[in-house]
Amino acid sequence: MSAFTEEQIERYSRHIILQEVGGKGQRKLLAASVLVIGAGGLGSPVGLYLAAAGVGTIGVVDCDAVELSNLQRQVLHATPDLGQRKCLSAQATMEAINPDVTVIPHDLRLTSANALEVISGYDVVVDGADNFPTRYLVNDACVLLGTPLVHAGILRFEGQVTTVAPGRGPCYRCLYPEPPPPGMVPSCQEAGILGATAGVVGALQATEALKLLLGIGEPLIGRLLIYDALDMVFRSIKVARDPHCLVCGEAPTITELIDYEQFCGVVVGKETVS
Amino acid sequence: MSGNGGTVRLRLYGALRQVAGSREVELPCPGVTVKQVLRDFAEAHVPRAANLLFDRQGNIWSSLIVLVNEEPVAHEGPTPVKAGDVVSVLMPLAGG
Repeated sequence: MSAFTEEQIERYSRHIILQEVGGKGQRKLLAASVLVIGAGGLGSPVGLYLAAAGVGTIGVVDCDAVELSNLQRQVLHATPDLGQRKCLSAQATMEAINPDVTVIPHDLRLTSANALEVISGYDVVVDGADNFPTRYLVNDACVLLGTPLVHAGILRFEGQVTTVAPGRGPCYRCLYPEPPPPGMVPSCQEAGILGATAGVVGALQATEALKLLLGIGEPLIGRLLIYDALDMVFRSIKVARDPHCLVCGEAPTITELIDYEQFCGVVVGKETVS
Repeated sequence: MSGNGGTVRLRLYGALRQVAGSREVELPCPGVTVKQVLRDFAEAHVPRAANLLFDRQGNIWSSLIVLVNEEPVAHEGPTPVKAGDVVSVLMPLAGG
């Protein structure tokens, strides 16, 4: 491994001073790669903290453009970025925070056809998508590839976080074998989201990703963390692997990626996936 | 374990919270199963919650996690609910 520059020693001094990180850990981060799915409410704090932490390569998947209604919580983007591709706006912000970091923009929508190719090669995936088909797709792809996944979902004043370590604990399907029927669970667009809630939950995801890369602490494997901003309470519940899980169980039937729009009952072209 | 005048607390998340208009409701303890607690909540207290809790066959949606005192329980299991218990219903959140 190459030696730190003087600038790097100063930049990462508050990391290096941590016994659990140190120079060795910081080098691990600089050599690591993380794929962030979505440059939105969750992807913003994740991208900011991973870039600031010096994660060497960060992929950002998003196929949308920055809209005015995003700016209340999507802190990767600023008012002058309106109309820009989100993954490019994210790249500019993250690389401005830390020139040590290479951001790879993926201006695409993840599909069964491209997900394995996009995800493979990254050390950790962080899911900040905004729809169920993408969430099941990302889970299945990570299980098939054996890539650790930090999952989170948010709505209104609530968040849920869990870490999927394929082969070592439950996957997203073990928790939620099926998505809710379309229309039952509202989106943030329909039901709202307190911007800072996304910040808290995204910061938790960034923390989990950094722990996984550093190999420290106890990740949320086999646990679902529930954040309730109104009561200001965190609850952690134990969740077990489902031996009948279709993708990670004892006799999996999902051995390649399926049609996730169909699985989630989404009428393609009608359901908006923003 | 039978009804004894005590109550159970039902903690709600996501869309259920919105429909019920509160984060937690207190229900008379029927001294039966989680399914009965949810049925009672939907029928007697918040009819609009029925579609969020039960499918057309009357089973609890497989997309819900039901907890009794923070421990996940089987939807159809005979898990008894007794006075003082906290039942929680979690649903996945798509938002990001």
